[in-house]
Amino acid sequence: MAPIISAVGVGKTFRQLKRQAGFGGALRGLVSRDYTEIRAVEGIAFSIEPGEAVGYLGPNGAGKSTMIKMMTGILTPSAGTLSVLGREPHSNRILNARDIGVVFGQRSQLWWDLPVRDSFELNRHIYDIPDSRFADNLAYLTQMLDMGSYIGRPVRQLSLGQRMRAEIAMALLHDPKILFLDEPTIGLDVVAKDAVRRFLAEINRERGTTIILTTHDLVDIEQICPRLIMVDDGKLLFDGELRHLRATLGSRRRLTLEFATDPGPLTLKTATLAADEGAAKHYLLENEAVSLIDVLNEVGPAHGLKDIKLEEPDIEEVIRTFYLNKPKLAGSAP
Amino acid sequence: MKLSAYPAFTHSAFQSRLAYRNQVWANAFGDLVNVFARIAIWSAAYAGMTVVDGVTLPEMVTYAVLVGTVLRWDHARLLHEVGDAVRTGDVAVYLLKPLHYPFAILASHVGHYAFSFVTVTIPVVLIVGFTAGLMPPASLFHAALFPVFWLLSWLVMFCIATLCGLLAFWLLTAFSLEWFLMGIMLLFSGAVVPMWFLPPALATLFSYLPFAWVHYYPAAVYLGKLDPTSTWLHLGMGLGWLALLAAAVAWLWSRARHRIIVQGG
Ligand SMILES: Nc1ncnc2c1ncn2[C@@H]1O[C@H](COP(=O)(O)OP(=O)(O)O)[C@@H](O)[C@H]1O
Ligand SMILES: [Mg+2]
Repeated sequence: MAPIISAVGVGKTFRQLKRQAGFGGALRGLVSRDYTEIRAVEGIAFSIEPGEAVGYLGPNGAGKSTMIKMMTGILTPSAGTLSVLGREPHSNRILNARDIGVVFGQRSQLWWDLPVRDSFELNRHIYDIPDSRFADNLAYLTQMLDMGSYIGRPVRQLSLGQRMRAEIAMALLHDPKILFLDEPTIGLDVVAKDAVRRFLAEINRERGTTIILTTHDLVDIEQICPRLIMVDDGKLLFDGELRHLRATLGSRRRLTLEFATDPGPLTLKTATLAADEGAAKHYLLENEAVSLIDVLNEVGPAHGLKDIKLEEPDIEEVIRTFYLNKPKLAGSAP
Repeated sequence: MKLSAYPAFTHSAFQSRLAYRNQVWANAFGDLVNVFARIAIWSAAYAGMTVVDGVTLPEMVTYAVLVGTVLRWDHARLLHEVGDAVRTGDVAVYLLKPLHYPFAILASHVGHYAFSFVTVTIPVVLIVGFTAGLMPPASLFHAALFPVFWLLSWLVMFCIATLCGLLAFWLLTAFSLEWFLMGIMLLFSGAVVPMWFLPPALATLFSYLPFAWVHYYPAAVYLGKLDPTSTWLHLGMGLGWLALLAAAVAWLWSRARHRIIVQGG
Protein backbone atom coordinates (compact mmCIF):
# COMPACT_ATOMS: atom_id res chain seq x y z
CA MET A 1 0.00 0.00 0.00
CA ALA A 2 1.22 3.49 -0.76
CA PRO A 3 2.08 5.51 2.34
CA ILE A 4 -0.55 8.02 3.41
CA ILE A 5 2.13 10.48 4.51
CA SER A 6 5.71 10.57 3.41
CA ALA A 7 8.43 12.99 4.38
CA VAL A 8 11.84 13.05 2.75
CA GLY A 9 14.52 15.34 4.11
CA VAL A 10 11.92 17.83 5.32
CA GLY A 11 13.28 20.98 6.90
CA LYS A 12 11.83 24.27 8.03
CA THR A 13 13.87 27.35 8.67
CA PHE A 14 12.01 30.34 10.05
CA ARG A 15 13.34 33.69 9.08
CA GLN A 16 12.31 35.95 11.84
CA LEU A 17 12.35 39.63 11.20
CA LYS A 18 14.44 41.66 13.59
CA ARG A 19 11.74 43.97 14.86
CA GLN A 20 12.59 47.59 15.07
CA ALA A 21 11.22 49.87 17.72
CA GLY A 22 8.45 52.37 17.15
CA PHE A 23 5.94 53.03 14.43
CA GLY A 24 8.57 54.00 11.86
CA GLY A 25 10.54 50.85 12.63
CA ALA A 26 7.43 48.77 12.12
CA LEU A 27 6.79 50.46 8.77
CA ARG A 28 10.36 49.73 7.75
CA GLY A 29 9.68 46.14 8.77
CA LEU A 30 7.28 45.90 5.83
CA VAL A 31 10.24 45.99 3.46
CA SER A 32 13.15 45.04 5.72
CA ARG A 33 15.44 42.14 4.88
CA ASP A 34 17.08 41.87 8.27
CA TYR A 35 16.42 38.35 9.58
CA THR A 36 17.51 35.86 12.19
CA GLU A 37 17.25 32.23 11.13
CA ILE A 38 15.71 29.52 13.31
CA ARG A 39 16.04 25.91 12.22
CA ALA A 40 12.85 24.43 13.63
CA VAL A 41 12.88 21.19 11.63
CA GLU A 42 15.85 19.54 9.94
CA GLY A 43 16.16 16.53 7.65
CA ILE A 44 13.05 14.71 8.87
CA ALA A 45 12.17 11.54 6.96
CA PHE A 46 9.43 9.04 7.68
CA SER A 47 6.65 7.22 5.99
CA ILE A 48 3.26 6.47 7.50
CA GLU A 49 0.83 3.82 6.30
CA PRO A 50 -2.97 4.22 6.29
CA GLY A 51 -4.46 3.21 9.61
CA GLU A 52 -1.34 3.75 11.68
CA ALA A 53 -1.31 5.65 14.94
CA VAL A 54 1.94 7.50 15.36
CA GLY A 55 3.12 9.42 18.36
CA TYR A 56 5.42 12.36 17.66
CA LEU A 57 7.35 12.92 20.85
CA GLY A 58 9.79 15.60 21.84
CA PRO A 59 10.49 18.29 24.41
CA ASN A 60 9.28 21.87 23.99
CA GLY A 61 10.71 23.57 20.95
CA ALA A 62 11.60 20.27 19.28
CA GLY A 63 9.71 21.22 16.13
CA LYS A 64 6.59 19.11 16.64
CA SER A 65 4.03 21.83 15.98
CA THR A 66 5.99 23.06 13.00
CA MET A 67 5.90 19.57 11.50
CA ILE A 68 2.13 19.34 12.08
CA LYS A 69 1.65 22.73 10.44
CA MET A 70 3.56 21.56 7.39
CA MET A 71 1.56 18.35 7.11
CA THR A 72 -1.70 20.27 7.42
CA GLY A 73 -0.71 22.76 4.73
CA ILE A 74 -0.42 25.88 6.88
CA LEU A 75 3.34 26.09 6.44
CA THR A 76 5.46 25.11 3.50
CA PRO A 77 8.72 23.20 4.08
CA SER A 78 11.87 25.11 3.25
CA ALA A 79 13.63 21.86 2.32
CA GLY A 80 12.70 18.36 1.27
CA THR A 81 9.43 16.94 0.02
CA LEU A 82 6.30 16.19 1.91
CA SER A 83 3.32 14.30 0.60
CA VAL A 84 -0.01 13.82 2.37
CA LEU A 85 -2.57 11.57 0.67
CA GLY A 86 -0.48 11.80 -2.46
CA ARG A 87 -0.53 15.60 -2.57
CA GLU A 88 1.79 18.39 -1.58
CA PRO A 89 -0.26 19.74 1.33
CA HIS A 90 0.47 23.44 1.07
CA SER A 91 -0.22 24.03 -2.63
CA ASN A 92 -3.34 21.85 -2.26
CA ARG A 93 -4.42 23.41 1.01
CA ILE A 94 -8.16 23.34 0.37
CA LEU A 95 -8.24 19.81 -1.05
CA ASN A 96 -6.04 18.61 1.79
CA ALA A 97 -8.24 20.34 4.37
CA ARG A 98 -11.26 18.30 3.28
CA ASP A 99 -9.50 15.02 4.01
CA ILE A 100 -7.87 15.81 7.32
CA GLY A 101 -9.02 16.72 10.80
CA VAL A 102 -6.86 18.83 13.07
CA VAL A 103 -6.92 19.53 16.78
CA PHE A 104 -4.63 22.08 18.37
CA GLY A 105 -4.43 21.63 22.13
CA GLN A 106 -3.73 25.33 22.56
CA ARG A 107 -6.07 26.88 19.99
CA SER A 108 -9.81 26.44 19.97
CA GLN A 109 -11.80 25.92 16.81
CA LEU A 110 -15.11 26.13 18.62
CA TRP A 111 -17.13 29.34 18.74
CA TRP A 112 -16.66 30.68 22.23
CA ASP A 113 -20.14 32.15 22.68
CA LEU A 114 -22.14 29.46 20.92
CA PRO A 115 -23.37 26.09 22.14
CA VAL A 116 -21.04 23.27 21.09
CA ARG A 117 -23.75 21.97 18.78
CA ASP A 118 -23.76 25.21 16.75
CA SER A 119 -20.04 24.96 16.03
CA PHE A 120 -20.61 21.40 14.82
CA GLU A 121 -23.45 22.67 12.65
CA LEU A 122 -21.09 25.23 11.10
CA ASN A 123 -18.67 22.45 10.22
CA ARG A 124 -21.49 20.57 8.56
CA HIS A 125 -21.76 23.47 6.12
CA ILE A 126 -18.03 24.07 5.73
CA TYR A 127 -17.33 20.45 4.82
CA ASP A 128 -20.67 19.92 3.10
CA ILE A 129 -21.38 16.78 5.15
CA PRO A 130 -24.48 14.85 4.01
CA ASP A 131 -27.29 15.08 6.58
CA SER A 132 -27.52 11.39 7.41
CA ARG A 133 -23.75 11.05 7.73
CA PHE A 134 -23.68 14.08 10.00
CA ALA A 135 -26.45 12.72 12.20
CA ASP A 136 -24.74 9.33 12.51
CA ASN A 137 -21.37 10.83 13.33
CA LEU A 138 -22.83 13.27 15.80
CA ALA A 139 -24.69 10.50 17.62
CA TYR A 140 -21.61 8.27 17.66
CA LEU A 141 -19.24 11.00 18.85
CA THR A 142 -21.67 12.35 21.44
CA GLN A 143 -21.98 8.91 22.94
CA MET A 144 -18.32 7.92 22.71
CA LEU A 145 -17.04 11.20 24.12
CA ASP A 146 -19.86 11.50 26.62
CA MET A 147 -20.85 14.97 25.42
CA GLY A 148 -24.60 14.59 25.96
CA SER A 149 -24.65 16.70 29.09
CA TYR A 150 -22.95 19.75 27.61
CA ILE A 151 -23.47 19.74 23.84
CA GLY A 152 -26.12 22.44 24.27
CA ARG A 153 -23.97 24.67 26.48
CA PRO A 154 -21.85 27.60 25.28
CA VAL A 155 -18.18 26.72 24.96
CA ARG A 156 -17.12 29.38 27.43
CA GLN A 157 -18.92 27.46 30.20
CA LEU A 158 -17.09 24.18 29.60
CA SER A 159 -14.22 22.68 31.53
CA LEU A 160 -10.99 22.17 29.62
CA GLY A 161 -11.60 18.43 29.48
CA GLN A 162 -15.08 18.90 28.03
CA ARG A 163 -13.82 21.46 25.57
CA MET A 164 -11.04 19.20 24.36
CA ARG A 165 -13.47 16.35 23.78
CA ALA A 166 -15.66 18.72 21.77
CA GLU A 167 -12.63 19.88 19.75
CA ILE A 168 -11.82 16.28 18.89
CA ALA A 169 -15.42 15.52 17.93
CA MET A 170 -15.48 18.63 15.74
CA ALA A 171 -12.37 17.44 13.87
CA LEU A 172 -13.95 14.06 13.16
CA LEU A 173 -17.44 15.03 11.95
CA HIS A 174 -16.43 15.05 8.30
CA ASP A 175 -14.81 11.60 8.39
CA PRO A 176 -11.24 12.73 7.84
CA LYS A 177 -8.78 10.12 6.63
CA ILE A 178 -6.07 11.50 8.90
CA LEU A 179 -6.45 13.07 12.30
CA PHE A 180 -3.65 15.37 13.44
CA LEU A 181 -3.53 16.31 17.10
CA ASP A 182 -1.03 18.79 18.48
CA GLU A 183 -0.70 18.15 22.24
CA PRO A 184 -4.32 17.11 22.76
CA THR A 185 -3.85 16.16 26.40
CA ILE A 186 -1.96 19.24 27.54
CA GLY A 187 -3.37 20.72 30.72
CA LEU A 188 -6.00 17.99 31.20
CA ASP A 189 -6.49 16.20 34.49
CA VAL A 190 -5.90 12.46 34.77
CA VAL A 191 -9.51 11.46 34.17
CA ALA A 192 -9.91 13.67 31.11
CA LYS A 193 -6.58 12.51 29.70
CA ASP A 194 -7.68 8.94 30.08
CA ALA A 195 -11.00 9.57 28.33
CA VAL A 196 -9.26 11.24 25.40
CA ARG A 197 -6.67 8.48 25.10
CA ARG A 198 -9.20 5.67 25.16
CA PHE A 199 -11.31 7.39 22.56
CA LEU A 200 -8.42 8.03 20.18
CA ALA A 201 -7.27 4.43 20.44
CA GLU A 202 -10.82 3.34 19.70
CA ILE A 203 -11.33 5.59 16.68
CA ASN A 204 -8.03 4.39 15.25
CA ARG A 205 -8.98 0.75 15.77
CA GLU A 206 -12.65 0.89 14.79
CA ARG A 207 -12.66 3.40 11.97
CA GLY A 208 -9.12 2.97 10.75
CA THR A 209 -8.49 6.72 10.98
CA THR A 210 -4.78 7.40 10.72
CA ILE A 211 -3.65 9.33 13.78
CA ILE A 212 -0.61 11.56 14.16
CA LEU A 213 -0.32 12.96 17.62
CA THR A 214 2.33 15.19 19.11
CA THR A 215 2.96 15.12 22.80
CA HIS A 216 5.61 15.34 25.40
CA ASP A 217 3.72 12.87 27.58
CA LEU A 218 4.88 9.32 27.01
CA VAL A 219 1.69 7.79 28.40
CA ASP A 220 -0.19 9.23 25.40
CA ILE A 221 2.02 7.14 23.20
CA GLU A 222 1.88 4.00 25.32
CA GLN A 223 -1.90 4.00 25.23
CA ILE A 224 -2.64 5.24 21.71
CA CYS A 225 0.29 4.80 19.41
CA PRO A 226 2.13 1.58 18.68
CA ARG A 227 4.66 3.62 16.76
CA LEU A 228 6.83 6.37 18.12
CA ILE A 229 8.75 9.06 16.31
CA MET A 230 11.05 10.95 18.60
CA VAL A 231 12.53 14.32 17.76
CA ASP A 232 14.69 16.86 19.42
CA ASP A 233 16.11 20.10 18.15
CA GLY A 234 14.26 19.57 14.90
CA LYS A 235 16.00 16.28 14.18
CA LEU A 236 14.77 12.71 14.16
CA LEU A 237 16.13 10.60 17.01
CA PHE A 238 14.08 7.44 16.86
CA ASP A 239 11.39 5.91 14.68
CA GLY A 240 9.92 2.56 15.64
CA GLU A 241 7.92 0.68 18.20
CA LEU A 242 7.98 1.94 21.73
CA ARG A 243 9.23 -1.40 23.08
CA HIS A 244 12.28 -1.16 20.85
CA LEU A 245 13.14 2.24 22.17
CA ARG A 246 14.94 0.92 25.20
CA ALA A 247 17.15 -1.36 23.18
CA THR A 248 17.94 1.40 20.73
CA LEU A 249 18.76 3.85 23.44
CA GLY A 250 20.84 1.19 25.20
CA SER A 251 19.42 1.79 28.62
CA ARG A 252 19.88 -0.80 31.34
CA ARG A 253 17.61 -2.94 33.43
CA ARG A 254 18.12 -3.06 37.17
CA LEU A 255 18.78 -6.36 38.93
CA THR A 256 18.55 -6.80 42.70
CA LEU A 257 19.72 -9.95 44.47
CA GLU A 258 18.84 -10.56 48.11
CA PHE A 259 20.64 -13.14 50.15
CA ALA A 260 19.89 -14.70 53.54
CA THR A 261 23.35 -13.67 54.68
CA ASP A 262 26.02 -11.52 53.05
CA PRO A 263 27.81 -13.80 50.60
CA GLY A 264 30.74 -11.38 50.30
CA PRO A 265 31.78 -9.72 47.02
CA LEU A 266 30.09 -11.31 44.04
CA THR A 267 30.92 -10.42 40.46
CA LEU A 268 28.85 -11.65 37.54
CA LYS A 269 29.57 -11.92 33.83
CA THR A 270 25.94 -11.20 32.96
CA ALA A 271 25.56 -8.04 35.07
CA THR A 272 27.61 -5.18 36.44
CA LEU A 273 27.64 -4.46 40.13
CA ALA A 274 26.25 -1.02 40.88
CA ALA A 275 25.84 -1.02 44.67
CA ASP A 276 26.66 -3.54 47.37
CA GLU A 277 24.68 -3.44 50.62
CA GLY A 278 25.98 -6.77 51.83
CA ALA A 279 22.95 -9.04 51.85
CA ALA A 280 21.39 -6.99 49.03
CA LYS A 281 23.32 -6.33 45.86
CA HIS A 282 22.28 -4.12 42.95
CA TYR A 283 23.40 -4.76 39.39
CA LEU A 284 22.78 -3.23 35.99
CA LEU A 285 21.99 -5.45 33.02
CA GLU A 286 23.57 -4.02 29.90
CA ASN A 287 22.70 -6.82 27.55
CA GLU A 288 19.10 -7.04 26.32
CA ALA A 289 19.50 -10.75 25.63
CA VAL A 290 20.31 -11.70 29.22
CA SER A 291 17.31 -13.22 31.00
CA LEU A 292 16.58 -14.01 34.64
CA ILE A 293 17.39 -17.65 33.94
CA ASP A 294 20.87 -16.68 32.78
CA VAL A 295 21.39 -14.74 35.99
CA LEU A 296 20.08 -17.58 38.17
CA ASN A 297 22.29 -20.06 36.40
CA GLU A 298 25.32 -17.93 36.96
CA VAL A 299 24.67 -17.19 40.64
CA GLY A 300 23.88 -20.83 41.32
CA PRO A 301 22.54 -22.37 44.55
CA ALA A 302 25.70 -21.89 46.61
CA HIS A 303 25.09 -18.36 48.02
CA GLY A 304 21.72 -18.81 49.66
CA LEU A 305 19.79 -16.55 47.28
CA LYS A 306 16.52 -15.46 48.90
CA ASP A 307 14.91 -13.14 46.38
CA ILE A 308 15.57 -11.75 42.93
CA LYS A 309 14.04 -8.70 41.28
CA LEU A 310 14.47 -7.46 37.71
CA GLU A 311 13.17 -3.96 36.98
CA GLU A 312 12.50 -2.51 33.58
CA PRO A 313 13.73 1.06 33.52
CA ASP A 314 10.98 3.63 33.68
CA ILE A 315 10.59 4.82 30.11
CA GLU A 316 10.46 8.43 31.21
CA GLU A 317 13.80 7.87 32.84
CA VAL A 318 15.18 6.22 29.73
CA ILE A 319 14.30 9.25 27.71
CA ARG A 320 15.61 11.63 30.31
CA THR A 321 18.94 9.83 30.37
CA PHE A 322 18.89 9.79 26.63
CA TYR A 323 18.44 13.54 26.32
CA LEU A 324 21.10 14.09 28.99
CA ASN A 325 23.59 12.01 27.04
CA LYS A 326 22.58 13.52 23.76
CA PRO A 327 25.83 15.34 22.94
CA LYS A 328 27.61 12.00 23.13
CA LEU A 329 25.05 10.24 20.99
CA ALA A 330 24.52 12.92 18.39
CA GLY A 331 26.89 11.26 15.96
CA SER A 332 25.21 7.88 16.15
CA ALA A 333 21.59 9.04 16.04
CA PRO A 334 19.69 7.73 13.02
CA MET B 1 -16.29 24.13 -0.54
CA LYS B 2 -19.66 25.24 -1.70
CA LEU B 3 -20.33 28.95 -1.70
CA SER B 4 -23.45 28.26 0.34
CA ALA B 5 -21.23 27.43 3.32
CA TYR B 6 -20.40 31.09 3.92
CA PRO B 7 -23.91 32.12 5.01
CA ALA B 8 -23.42 29.63 7.85
CA PHE B 9 -20.81 32.07 9.19
CA THR B 10 -23.36 34.89 8.98
CA HIS B 11 -25.78 32.77 10.97
CA SER B 12 -23.18 31.81 13.59
CA ALA B 13 -22.09 35.42 14.10
CA PHE B 14 -25.69 36.53 14.51
CA GLN B 15 -26.32 33.74 17.01
CA SER B 16 -23.19 34.58 18.98
CA ARG B 17 -24.40 38.15 19.39
CA LEU B 18 -27.57 36.88 21.04
CA ALA B 19 -25.32 35.71 23.87
CA TYR B 20 -24.74 39.37 24.67
CA ARG B 21 -28.33 40.54 24.43
CA ASN B 22 -27.95 42.88 27.37
CA GLN B 23 -25.34 44.90 25.48
CA VAL B 24 -28.09 45.84 23.06
CA TRP B 25 -29.44 48.48 25.44
CA ALA B 26 -26.05 50.15 25.79
CA ASN B 27 -25.54 50.13 22.02
CA ALA B 28 -29.00 51.51 21.28
CA PHE B 29 -28.56 54.18 23.93
CA GLY B 30 -25.16 55.11 22.45
CA ASP B 31 -26.59 55.53 18.98
CA LEU B 32 -29.55 57.48 20.30
CA VAL B 33 -27.30 59.93 22.15
CA ASN B 34 -25.09 60.18 19.08
CA VAL B 35 -28.01 61.07 16.82
CA PHE B 36 -29.64 63.52 19.22
CA ALA B 37 -26.32 65.25 19.85
CA ARG B 38 -25.90 65.81 16.12
CA ILE B 39 -29.46 67.08 15.87
CA ALA B 40 -28.88 69.46 18.77
CA ILE B 41 -25.68 70.80 17.21
CA TRP B 42 -27.32 71.41 13.84
CA SER B 43 -30.38 73.04 15.41
CA ALA B 44 -28.08 75.40 17.28
CA ALA B 45 -26.01 76.08 14.15
CA TYR B 46 -29.10 76.89 12.09
CA ALA B 47 -30.17 79.32 14.84
CA GLY B 48 -33.63 79.92 13.45
CA MET B 49 -32.61 80.02 9.77
CA THR B 50 -34.57 77.67 7.51
CA VAL B 51 -32.07 77.12 4.73
CA VAL B 52 -28.26 77.23 4.82
CA ASP B 53 -26.36 76.68 1.58
CA GLY B 54 -29.51 75.15 0.10
CA VAL B 55 -29.92 72.64 2.89
CA THR B 56 -32.86 72.75 5.32
CA LEU B 57 -32.76 71.85 9.00
CA PRO B 58 -35.07 68.81 8.57
CA GLU B 59 -32.65 67.59 5.91
CA MET B 60 -29.80 67.94 8.38
CA VAL B 61 -31.79 66.00 11.00
CA THR B 62 -32.28 63.20 8.49
CA TYR B 63 -28.57 63.38 7.59
CA ALA B 64 -27.75 62.98 11.30
CA VAL B 65 -29.90 59.85 11.54
CA LEU B 66 -28.42 58.33 8.38
CA VAL B 67 -24.82 58.96 9.41
CA GLY B 68 -25.36 58.44 13.13
CA THR B 69 -27.02 55.03 12.97
CA VAL B 70 -28.04 53.71 9.54
CA LEU B 71 -24.52 54.06 8.09
CA ARG B 72 -22.65 53.64 11.36
CA TRP B 73 -20.65 50.45 10.86
CA ASP B 74 -18.80 48.65 13.63
CA HIS B 75 -15.39 48.92 11.99
CA ALA B 76 -13.58 48.58 15.33
CA ARG B 77 -14.91 45.04 15.88
CA LEU B 78 -13.79 43.98 12.41
CA LEU B 79 -10.39 45.62 12.74
CA HIS B 80 -9.76 43.94 16.08
CA GLU B 81 -10.92 40.56 14.93
CA VAL B 82 -8.67 40.53 11.88
CA GLY B 83 -5.81 42.15 13.77
CA ASP B 84 -5.93 39.65 16.63
CA ALA B 85 -6.25 36.67 14.28
CA VAL B 86 -3.15 37.54 12.27
CA ARG B 87 -1.09 38.69 15.22
CA THR B 88 -1.75 35.71 17.50
CA GLY B 89 -1.73 33.18 14.68
CA ASP B 90 -5.33 32.14 15.35
CA VAL B 91 -5.85 32.66 11.66
CA ALA B 92 -4.31 29.17 11.37
CA VAL B 93 -7.65 27.78 12.46
CA TYR B 94 -9.17 29.17 9.26
CA LEU B 95 -6.30 27.92 7.14
CA LEU B 96 -7.04 24.38 8.33
CA LYS B 97 -10.47 24.50 6.78
CA PRO B 98 -11.47 24.32 3.15
CA LEU B 99 -12.34 28.01 2.93
CA HIS B 100 -10.96 31.48 2.20
CA TYR B 101 -10.42 33.61 5.26
CA PRO B 102 -11.46 37.03 3.87
CA PHE B 103 -14.80 35.62 2.67
CA ALA B 104 -15.43 33.88 5.97
CA ILE B 105 -14.79 37.11 7.84
CA LEU B 106 -16.99 39.05 5.39
CA ALA B 107 -19.81 36.58 5.93
CA SER B 108 -19.57 36.67 9.69
CA HIS B 109 -19.58 40.46 9.75
CA VAL B 110 -22.73 40.53 7.68
CA GLY B 111 -24.15 38.59 10.64
CA HIS B 112 -22.85 41.13 13.14
CA TYR B 113 -24.29 43.97 11.10
CA ALA B 114 -27.65 42.25 10.67
CA PHE B 115 -27.82 41.89 14.42
CA SER B 116 -27.18 45.53 15.20
CA PHE B 117 -29.47 46.60 12.36
CA VAL B 118 -32.38 44.74 13.92
CA THR B 119 -31.63 45.53 17.55
CA VAL B 120 -30.22 49.05 17.34
CA THR B 121 -30.70 50.79 14.00
CA ILE B 122 -34.40 50.09 13.48
CA PRO B 123 -35.44 51.09 17.03
CA VAL B 124 -33.31 54.25 16.92
CA VAL B 125 -34.71 55.29 13.52
CA LEU B 126 -38.25 54.76 14.81
CA ILE B 127 -37.63 56.76 18.00
CA VAL B 128 -36.01 59.68 16.17
CA GLY B 129 -38.64 59.51 13.44
CA PHE B 130 -41.46 59.93 15.94
CA THR B 131 -39.73 62.63 18.00
CA ALA B 132 -37.59 64.78 15.71
CA GLY B 133 -39.17 63.72 12.40
CA LEU B 134 -37.52 62.19 9.34
CA MET B 135 -37.71 63.10 5.68
CA PRO B 136 -38.57 60.44 3.09
CA PRO B 137 -36.12 59.85 0.21
CA ALA B 138 -36.09 62.77 -2.24
CA SER B 139 -37.65 60.80 -5.11
CA LEU B 140 -38.46 57.29 -6.24
CA PHE B 141 -35.16 57.24 -8.13
CA HIS B 142 -33.22 58.23 -5.03
CA ALA B 143 -35.18 55.76 -2.91
CA ALA B 144 -34.23 52.98 -5.32
CA LEU B 145 -30.55 53.89 -5.45
CA PHE B 146 -30.06 54.48 -1.73
CA PRO B 147 -29.92 50.74 -0.84
CA VAL B 148 -27.29 50.26 -3.53
CA PHE B 149 -25.13 53.04 -2.05
CA TRP B 150 -25.83 51.64 1.40
CA LEU B 151 -24.50 48.22 0.38
CA LEU B 152 -21.54 49.85 -1.33
CA SER B 153 -20.84 51.83 1.83
CA TRP B 154 -20.77 48.63 3.87
CA LEU B 155 -18.40 46.91 1.47
CA VAL B 156 -16.04 49.89 1.26
CA MET B 157 -15.97 50.06 5.04
CA PHE B 158 -15.35 46.31 5.19
CA CYS B 159 -12.32 46.63 2.93
CA ILE B 160 -10.87 49.65 4.75
CA ALA B 161 -11.24 48.07 8.21
CA THR B 162 -9.90 44.72 7.02
CA LEU B 163 -6.89 46.46 5.49
CA CYS B 164 -6.18 48.16 8.81
CA GLY B 165 -6.63 44.84 10.63
CA LEU B 166 -4.18 43.11 8.31
CA LEU B 167 -1.68 45.91 8.82
CA ALA B 168 -1.61 44.92 12.48
CA PHE B 169 0.42 41.96 11.32
CA TRP B 170 3.32 44.33 10.70
CA LEU B 171 2.48 47.15 13.05
CA LEU B 172 1.88 44.88 16.05
CA THR B 173 -0.91 46.82 17.65
CA ALA B 174 -4.40 47.25 16.35
CA PHE B 175 -5.05 49.91 18.94
CA SER B 176 -3.25 52.82 17.30
CA LEU B 177 -4.69 51.77 13.96
CA GLU B 178 -8.16 51.93 15.41
CA TRP B 179 -7.73 55.54 16.46
CA PHE B 180 -6.14 56.35 13.15
CA LEU B 181 -9.06 54.84 11.28
CA MET B 182 -11.62 56.51 13.52
CA GLY B 183 -10.00 59.90 12.98
CA ILE B 184 -9.89 59.49 9.24
CA MET B 185 -13.47 58.31 9.11
CA LEU B 186 -14.70 61.27 11.17
CA LEU B 187 -12.82 63.80 9.10
CA PHE B 188 -12.90 62.51 5.53
CA SER B 189 -16.19 60.66 5.29
CA GLY B 190 -18.57 63.51 5.97
CA ALA B 191 -19.62 61.81 9.19
CA VAL B 192 -19.41 65.03 11.19
CA VAL B 193 -19.71 67.76 8.61
CA PRO B 194 -21.26 67.07 5.20
CA MET B 195 -19.22 68.12 2.17
CA TRP B 196 -21.63 70.94 1.34
CA PHE B 197 -20.61 72.88 4.49
CA LEU B 198 -16.87 72.37 3.99
CA PRO B 199 -14.52 74.89 2.34
CA PRO B 200 -14.69 74.10 -1.40
CA ALA B 201 -11.04 73.01 -1.67
CA LEU B 202 -11.41 70.48 1.16
CA ALA B 203 -14.80 69.33 -0.10
CA THR B 204 -13.35 68.65 -3.54
CA LEU B 205 -10.45 66.68 -2.10
CA PHE B 206 -12.58 64.64 0.30
CA SER B 207 -15.26 63.95 -2.27
CA TYR B 208 -12.79 61.93 -4.35
CA LEU B 209 -11.48 59.81 -1.47
CA PRO B 210 -13.14 56.42 -0.79
CA PHE B 211 -14.23 57.47 2.72
CA ALA B 212 -16.88 59.72 1.20
CA TRP B 213 -18.65 56.62 -0.11
CA VAL B 214 -19.00 55.32 3.42
CA HIS B 215 -21.08 58.22 4.77
CA TYR B 216 -21.47 61.25 2.57
CA TYR B 217 -22.65 59.86 -0.80
CA PRO B 218 -25.27 57.43 0.51
CA ALA B 219 -26.80 60.20 2.64
CA ALA B 220 -26.57 62.72 -0.20
CA VAL B 221 -28.33 60.30 -2.55
CA TYR B 222 -31.13 59.74 -0.02
CA LEU B 223 -31.65 63.48 0.33
CA GLY B 224 -31.55 64.01 -3.43
CA LYS B 225 -28.45 66.21 -3.33
CA LEU B 226 -27.10 64.36 -6.38
CA ASP B 227 -29.06 64.48 -9.65
CA PRO B 228 -29.58 61.16 -11.47
CA THR B 229 -26.60 61.59 -13.79
CA SER B 230 -24.25 62.43 -11.00
CA THR B 231 -25.74 59.60 -8.89
CA TRP B 232 -24.85 57.05 -11.59
CA LEU B 233 -21.44 58.65 -12.02
CA HIS B 234 -20.69 58.40 -8.32
CA LEU B 235 -21.97 54.85 -8.20
CA GLY B 236 -19.44 53.99 -10.88
CA MET B 237 -16.66 55.81 -9.05
CA GLY B 238 -17.60 54.07 -5.80
CA LEU B 239 -17.51 50.68 -7.49
CA GLY B 240 -14.09 51.61 -8.85
CA TRP B 241 -12.86 52.39 -5.34
CA LEU B 242 -14.39 49.14 -4.08
CA ALA B 243 -12.56 47.13 -6.73
CA LEU B 244 -9.31 48.86 -5.85
CA LEU B 245 -9.76 48.32 -2.11
CA ALA B 246 -10.77 44.68 -2.57
CA ALA B 247 -7.63 44.15 -4.63
CA ALA B 248 -5.62 45.77 -1.84
CA VAL B 249 -7.20 43.41 0.72
CA ALA B 250 -6.40 40.42 -1.48
CA TRP B 251 -2.81 41.61 -1.90
CA LEU B 252 -2.21 42.37 1.77
CA TRP B 253 -3.84 39.10 2.81
CA SER B 254 -1.61 37.15 0.46
CA ARG B 255 1.41 39.02 1.86
CA ALA B 256 0.34 38.23 5.41
CA ARG B 257 -0.31 34.60 4.51
CA HIS B 258 2.97 34.37 2.71
CA ARG B 259 4.70 35.73 5.74
CA ILE B 260 3.01 33.25 8.04
CA ILE B 261 4.03 30.53 5.63
CA VAL B 262 7.60 31.53 4.93
CA GLN B 263 8.70 33.38 8.01
CA GLY B 264 6.11 32.23 10.46
CA GLY B 265 4.89 35.49 12.01
N1 LIG C 1 6.44 31.19 13.52
C1 LIG C 1 7.67 31.03 14.01
N2 LIG C 1 8.63 31.96 13.80
C2 LIG C 1 9.85 31.78 14.28
N3 LIG C 1 10.25 30.73 15.00
C3 LIG C 1 9.34 29.77 15.24
C4 LIG C 1 8.01 29.88 14.77
N4 LIG C 1 7.32 28.78 15.16
C5 LIG C 1 8.19 28.04 15.85
N5 LIG C 1 9.41 28.62 15.90
C6 LIG C 1 10.61 28.06 16.55
O1 LIG C 1 10.85 26.78 16.01
C7 LIG C 1 11.19 25.86 17.02
C8 LIG C 1 10.21 24.71 17.05
O2 LIG C 1 8.95 25.18 17.46
P1 LIG C 1 7.67 24.25 17.58
O3 LIG C 1 7.49 23.51 16.31
O4 LIG C 1 6.53 25.08 18.02
O5 LIG C 1 8.11 23.24 18.74
P2 LIG C 1 7.23 22.25 19.62
O6 LIG C 1 5.84 22.23 19.08
O7 LIG C 1 7.93 20.93 19.49
O8 LIG C 1 7.29 22.76 21.01
C9 LIG C 1 11.23 26.66 18.31
O9 LIG C 1 12.58 27.03 18.54
C10 LIG C 1 10.39 27.85 18.03
O10 LIG C 1 10.82 28.96 18.78
MG1 LIG D 1 4.07 22.71 20.03
